[in-house]
Amino acid sequence: MLWTLIQREILANLMTFRFPIAVIACVILGLTITAALTDNYERRLASYNEAFQTHQEKNFSAKTYSGLTLQLDRPPNPLSLFNQGLDKRAANSVRLRRDKVPSVWEDNYFSTGFDNPFRHLLASVDIVTVFQILLSLLALVFAYDAIAGERENGTLHLMLANPVGRGLIVLSKYLSAMICLMLPVLISFLLALMLQLQSPVIDYSTADFLRIGGILLTTIVYLSAFYLIGLLISCISRRTATSLISSMFIWVVLTFIYPNASLFMVNHFIETEEKIEQADRETSQIMEGFQREKAKLRDPFAPPFLLKGHWSGGSISKDVTHIEAASELEIPTVKAYYQELEPQRLRAVEAAWVVRKQAYSETFVHRSTAARNALRLSPAGLYYLATAAYAGTDLAAMEAFFKAVRQYRQTILDYFYDKKAFSSRQWFASDKGAVRWDDLSRFSYQALGDLTEDSSRASGELLRLLLLNLVLLIVTIVVFSRQEV
Amino acid sequence: MLWHIVKRELFEQVNSLRFALAMLLTVFLMLVNAVGHIDEYKARQAEYGQQASAYSAKLEQNSSNLYKLVLNGPGELHKKPSPLSFCAHGSENNLPKFASGKRSGWGTIYNVSGIWRLKYSGFPSIKAKDIFPVFLKIDWILIISNVLSFLALVWTFDAIAGEVEHGTLRLTLSNAVARRTVLTGKFLSCLMSLGAVFMSGVLVNLLLLYLSGTLQLNAQEWSRIGGIFVVGLMYIAVFIALGFLISTLVNNAATSLVILLLIWVIWVILVPSMLGTIMSGLNQPSIRRGPSPVYFRYSGLQERYRARGLEDEAPTRKRPPTPATLLWAEFLNEEAREGARLHRAYLNAQINQIQIAREFNRISPTAIAQYAIESLAGTGFQRHLNFLKNVENYADQFNNFLISADRADPDSPHVPFVREGMSDKPVSFESIPKFQDRVHLGEAFKGAMLDMILLLLFFVVLFATAHVSFQRKEI
Repeated sequence: MLWTLIQREILANLMTFRFPIAVIACVILGLTITAALTDNYERRLASYNEAFQTHQEKNFSAKTYSGLTLQLDRPPNPLSLFNQGLDKRAANSVRLRRDKVPSVWEDNYFSTGFDNPFRHLLASVDIVTVFQILLSLLALVFAYDAIAGERENGTLHLMLANPVGRGLIVLSKYLSAMICLMLPVLISFLLALMLQLQSPVIDYSTADFLRIGGILLTTIVYLSAFYLIGLLISCISRRTATSLISSMFIWVVLTFIYPNASLFMVNHFIETEEKIEQADRETSQIMEGFQREKAKLRDPFAPPFLLKGHWSGGSISKDVTHIEAASELEIPTVKAYYQELEPQRLRAVEAAWVVRKQAYSETFVHRSTAARNALRLSPAGLYYLATAAYAGTDLAAMEAFFKAVRQYRQTILDYFYDKKAFSSRQWFASDKGAVRWDDLSRFSYQALGDLTEDSSRASGELLRLLLLNLVLLIVTIVVFSRQEV
Repeated sequence: MLWHIVKRELFEQVNSLRFALAMLLTVFLMLVNAVGHIDEYKARQAEYGQQASAYSAKLEQNSSNLYKLVLNGPGELHKKPSPLSFCAHGSENNLPKFASGKRSGWGTIYNVSGIWRLKYSGFPSIKAKDIFPVFLKIDWILIISNVLSFLALVWTFDAIAGEVEHGTLRLTLSNAVARRTVLTGKFLSCLMSLGAVFMSGVLVNLLLLYLSGTLQLNAQEWSRIGGIFVVGLMYIAVFIALGFLISTLVNNAATSLVILLLIWVIWVILVPSMLGTIMSGLNQPSIRRGPSPVYFRYSGLQERYRARGLEDEAPTRKRPPTPATLLWAEFLNEEAREGARLHRAYLNAQINQIQIAREFNRISPTAIAQYAIESLAGTGFQRHLNFLKNVENYADQFNNFLISADRADPDSPHVPFVREGMSDKPVSFESIPKFQDRVHLGEAFKGAMLDMILLLLFFVVLFATAHVSFQRKEI
């Protein structure tokens, strides 16, 4: 019986003009946006490669230990084609120094993602944005007359005269519409994927295909959520016109107004400035304390100079290229100075980082959690969050990059301790030979991190979306069963 | 007769569910906008005040010696925030807040260094507070372009098709009334009721801002708000006309709404965010990394002057000026001009790319309305171009001042802009021209004029087509 009903519904859906429109709209929009984004990704990758090359040459050119500063780059993420998340906006190049612990919340990192910074003025969309708007609309358009229409035509009476349960009718309508709606989605998704694979620089691994599968699955669940919303409205409304208008209002609210307004409110009502300012004060106190300690020591590079010779460098890096023979005797004093100073500096930097980390978690992290929670109330928000996690472009993925950078900074510090670098001559002087950095491990970072971690974040959102589906389906069946026809 | 139809339609619309929902939605969003604007504007004003006083302090410090001004330039020239930013935020967060007139940064032998020039950097770095899943500001543009256009379609989708379905159109037309009167009457009533929704949102918004004390506008700014309101109404009229057109072409109200919504999604949401990006992708700026000292080194300028014996002799304070002094002055002037030209050329390449994208985006009335409202509100890209023009005018003014201040000093050899050829006396701070960034009403309207005409054109074409197809429709 169910099969007969589904067959009938599928036929009815396929025959309407909505179906070809849905297919054409999905395919055209999916393809144009993919072509544009692929081109954009290629350009970003080229600019990353160029930056990476330049930095690679510069990074280990320091001749003394103290001179080491690194520029580390984050490669662009190919899955940002699906959901760009923060991939284009978050910092993609970090300067790593020993006197600063980098964090995603700092302001002073730059982004080389765009050649023309004015391009930030042009809004950029991704596949998920297009689907988020288009598919929800299509789902509602397929659903608004599913029950209300049949009631108006009187065919519902006719159908119920047969020995068929009301739950079965709802189920058959749901399944058949989903089959019809999935077709345009699958077609455009596959075409978009094929187009991406044409690009010489995009090369997905198995894990990446799993992520894409996750995005596709979320898309279908999202579609189904909106179909069920439409079905419920269609069930409640007496007339198709009412059903259509209420569906459209709910659509506008759920996909545009609620996500924007909630983020706007969260941004506005969660105060951050005061705590950050306080943290700034505390950090500068810590650093001033360090400077006082430093002032107690005799700086060999301040007049009257201990060493006679040539040197270059700034406040934290020194490179002495030539020492006069008479000054050789002072070398142990300089070594002792750094032996004393540098561990103190690192302790102060660490203490300041603890303060800042605490402040960030109370402000920005707190605010982004609130924003995430607010978004979860709309299926569009859930869809965004789940796909961003699958694509590895959400905040957690950006933080993972900074975590890797921080870990690498620790590796370098450990390397310094291992080599007893602070008390070595090469800390400040390269006249007896430059430092060879061969035994220091190099930093490497993949745009796509651990699949299990990302998908566990995504599946939380996906489960919420599934739960919403289930609730909507049950409510629709219950409402329909208790209704007078 | 027209008035009868308008009255009947208005009554029907105001009593409907959609009117109540629309009113609620618009007023709510306008409230959110006002609440958000109050704090932000105060913070931005305070920031601008600080920057302006830092600018004068720096200038005063440099006025202790004329040549210090030649070397260091006027400093950072800040863009004045628009008091109407609640109407259109105009992506101001992504635009530079200043242009800098600063030291050139190079020095060469004989202690000569390059004179000041304009540089157009100052793009804001990514701010931690902007790291958010989605970030769209709720301003008048969003409310007008997304919400009101959507409402216009919901208002009109059944205007003709619905009446055809119910048979009431036949009844109306059986009276002695022309078809064009029916269409015009329906159009006017839709515009009036949607205008009422828009107006109440605007009034609530302005009232809240007024009560909070944030809204201190002069007559000029009020007239710009008036202009924005008119653009909003024109934009709504375009969508009402579109709704009528589809509604006359289709016999079923539901079909009409489905088609309208698809057009809406493409026109309002997707075209403005996709088309420009695609088209501008085809036209990349040719210089990728921006003007850097490398360009000067390789541009051959220095070599050319070196061949003429630039570095053989130092400039002196002798009067009349020695050939070496004159040559150095010529070099410094040309180098500064060339440097400014390179910076400007790079900026132009960047701007052109955006201009192309904007031209293509004008296929969508949403983009047109956005550009018009931004011009009127004094935010966004057009305003930024105005700011750059102000900055350039000021740069000329500043250089002219330097020359005339030098002329006023009888002890100077009058060879600008080499140190030895210029006065080294202090200048009075009051006489230095100060940078004043302002938007003129005329400029704002001129910027919006093209867009307003385009919007009108859209309306005329759509309404005329709707009219024709309604005339030819069998009922």
